[in-house]
Amino acid sequence: MAEFFGTTVADIFNTMPKRFKPEASKGVDVVIGYDCGGEGGGKWKLTVKDQVAKVETVEGDLGPCTATIIASDAETFIGVTLQKIGAIDALSQGKMKVVGDTRMLMTLLPQIFVQYTVPEKKTEVTARGILSAIGERFRPDKAAGVTLKYGYDLTGEGGGQFTITIADGTCTLKEGLDSDLAVKMTMEAVTYVGMMTGTIDGAAAFTSGKVRIDGDMMAAAATGKYFDKYVDPNAEEAEELLSLKVVTSINQRFATGPVMGKWFAGLREKKFLASVCPLCKRTLILPQEICQFCHVRTKEYVELGPEGYVTNFDLVYFASPDPLSGEVRDTPYACAWIMLEGATPEEGFAFEIKREDLPKLKIGSRVRPVWAEKPSGSFRDILHFEIID
Amino acid sequence: MATKRVAICAVAQHKNEPDLWYRRFQNMLLDVLEDLQEKTGFTYGENGVEMIVSTSDDFFDARTISNNGVTDVIGGQYLAEEKMAQEGLNAIGYANSIILSGHKDLVLIMGHCKESQGESRNMITNCGFDPFYGRATGLDYLNAAGLQAQAYMRKSSLTDDQLAEIVVRSRQWAAKNPYANAREAVPAGKVKASPMLCDPIRQLHAYPVSDGAVGLLLASEERAKEFTDKPVWITGFANCMDTFFFGDRDLTSNFALKKATANACRRAGIQDLKKAADVVEVMDCYAYQQPMWMEGLGFCGDGEGGRFVAEGGPGKYRVNLSGGTLAGNPLIISGLYRAAEATLQLQGGAGDRQVPDAKCAVAHSTNGPAGQFHSVLILEA
Repeated sequence: MAEFFGTTVADIFNTMPKRFKPEASKGVDVVIGYDCGGEGGGKWKLTVKDQVAKVETVEGDLGPCTATIIASDAETFIGVTLQKIGAIDALSQGKMKVVGDTRMLMTLLPQIFVQYTVPEKKTEVTARGILSAIGERFRPDKAAGVTLKYGYDLTGEGGGQFTITIADGTCTLKEGLDSDLAVKMTMEAVTYVGMMTGTIDGAAAFTSGKVRIDGDMMAAAATGKYFDKYVDPNAEEAEELLSLKVVTSINQRFATGPVMGKWFAGLREKKFLASVCPLCKRTLILPQEICQFCHVRTKEYVELGPEGYVTNFDLVYFASPDPLSGEVRDTPYACAWIMLEGATPEEGFAFEIKREDLPKLKIGSRVRPVWAEKPSGSFRDILHFEIID
Repeated sequence: MATKRVAICAVAQHKNEPDLWYRRFQNMLLDVLEDLQEKTGFTYGENGVEMIVSTSDDFFDARTISNNGVTDVIGGQYLAEEKMAQEGLNAIGYANSIILSGHKDLVLIMGHCKESQGESRNMITNCGFDPFYGRATGLDYLNAAGLQAQAYMRKSSLTDDQLAEIVVRSRQWAAKNPYANAREAVPAGKVKASPMLCDPIRQLHAYPVSDGAVGLLLASEERAKEFTDKPVWITGFANCMDTFFFGDRDLTSNFALKKATANACRRAGIQDLKKAADVVEVMDCYAYQQPMWMEGLGFCGDGEGGRFVAEGGPGKYRVNLSGGTLAGNPLIISGLYRAAEATLQLQGGAGDRQVPDAKCAVAHSTNGPAGQFHSVLILEA
């Protein structure tokens, strides 16, 4: 499987059950589909319900999902997972898409999963490896005048029998156990490795019976001081710099007030209501309390449109998640300025154009709004404007 | 030539309310603006207002550059408009500098805040702390004040009975102020039985969540008479900042307030503020702060706040006849409400609260946790 940033897409999914935090997933009931294109990609489905996470690979259709994450290639998917590629960047460049509530995903996933990290490729530390290099750690100054022969009987995987001889300021290692040892230590090879790398305490290993000592206990205790401490080649030395990721979120309740309220009430009846300046007669859409040019309150309302024509537009190829809804628009989309019928010059109204109509969109195109089935008094009531042929 | 003096010509206040869920702050500002225009007859543009200083808080408004939500309404179209985000009283200090420098001779100040818009005032003030440490430890302006109250009450022998007395008095005066939020009388027993928010601060020791808006028109000495026959002169203004990190501060020292007071008095040529001032308006978000800030302003000695209250200091020095912040003003513009009340007193327009023949008034404000930043404005009739 194709590897990017030192890992594969499959690794990310295979570790999901282990990274899952059941206690943080109380009340969560979601099905999240993953569709990763290109080499090393594939389809997966994550089901979280009753504090259990189930991960499965999917052949063919993903089926019904609460939300689906679609990545154009494995590199993007892995990069975003590892935070080497910004999720917002990937979304706005179209390399990643989310069908469903993006904000929900961005909040939920870090909450119920431990962040995936690439498993380190460790140098394998073996008992034989440690022992074969024992001469390099030998300290003749500490062992001056010492004559000692001791043995290790290491059992299990990676084990073996070794005799270490200290004499005349030298240290030699040979395989096998001599018969004239001062002391023999018997343990599993993994215990020896643990003691040398510092993950197992030697005294505790002895008292718990993991290490058996036959012969001169004092000699056994002394062996350590003739050598430099073994250094684990996998030990991290680099300083770790952290950054803090937080979502600042305080619920708000925005008043629309009587004037803006009129606008939303109008949408419910599929009407565009503008307020009118009593002095310059311009139509303010959206309606405002005051005409900022004349410094005078607006009082009258007039219905504009619903048809109009396009005076300016721009095709947008990136899309950021809407901070209020978490939704991401399909790209490209047209941000079009529309002069609604009855509007005074320069009083444009901006909205999206139907995607299928984009190829024929031009300055001057006549357009009309397409309304939601049941308008409720919000901007969602207008699906888009379509071009009138 | 720079003008010698700057006048507050007129003030207009929106009544403070606990929850104006049905009004945009634009609506509130428009009412205030029209009130101010009616009082002064000012217009915009040449020979009128060409410079506006607004005051708002981005987190309370839940939008960045929060002034751009109001510039149309307050008349900013094609004119100069700037925002004071620190604390409203400093908008007056800033406008004062603009006029003294000769840059403009007329400045409109418009401030607003709807504390009811966000789900929680404490969550918003929590964002006033750094994201790593202060926010993570759950600090906000309320529990920061709790720490200060603990330390201050020990130092100044302020009692729970006295806290109640301060609240009772605030409500008595607020009842006479048509712009105050909490105007109904409360007995001391009810204050002392109100729920504990953050020991020793009880619910009624804390100012209520408030929505409000304030406007002021400032002019040079030469032009003030066009807009009022009762100009109120800005004779001293200063502010001072204490350290941001809470742990570095002596919470009871009043360091920043003392320094701001000294600088404002020096500019006003006042030797002893407690002898000079006829009216004092302090920003007391919590009951303990009223005597504490009075210490900082020099109306009693260090650690004597308890005795100050016991000896009737708040009455003697006419402290917070508006009801003060305790009766409910939003953060960020509480200082503007203090200045508005001080101006009304000096113009003889304070109604049932009027102090006879008031000549000198002090308006104080603070922002940041537990009085980190203080501003002092001295006004004279």
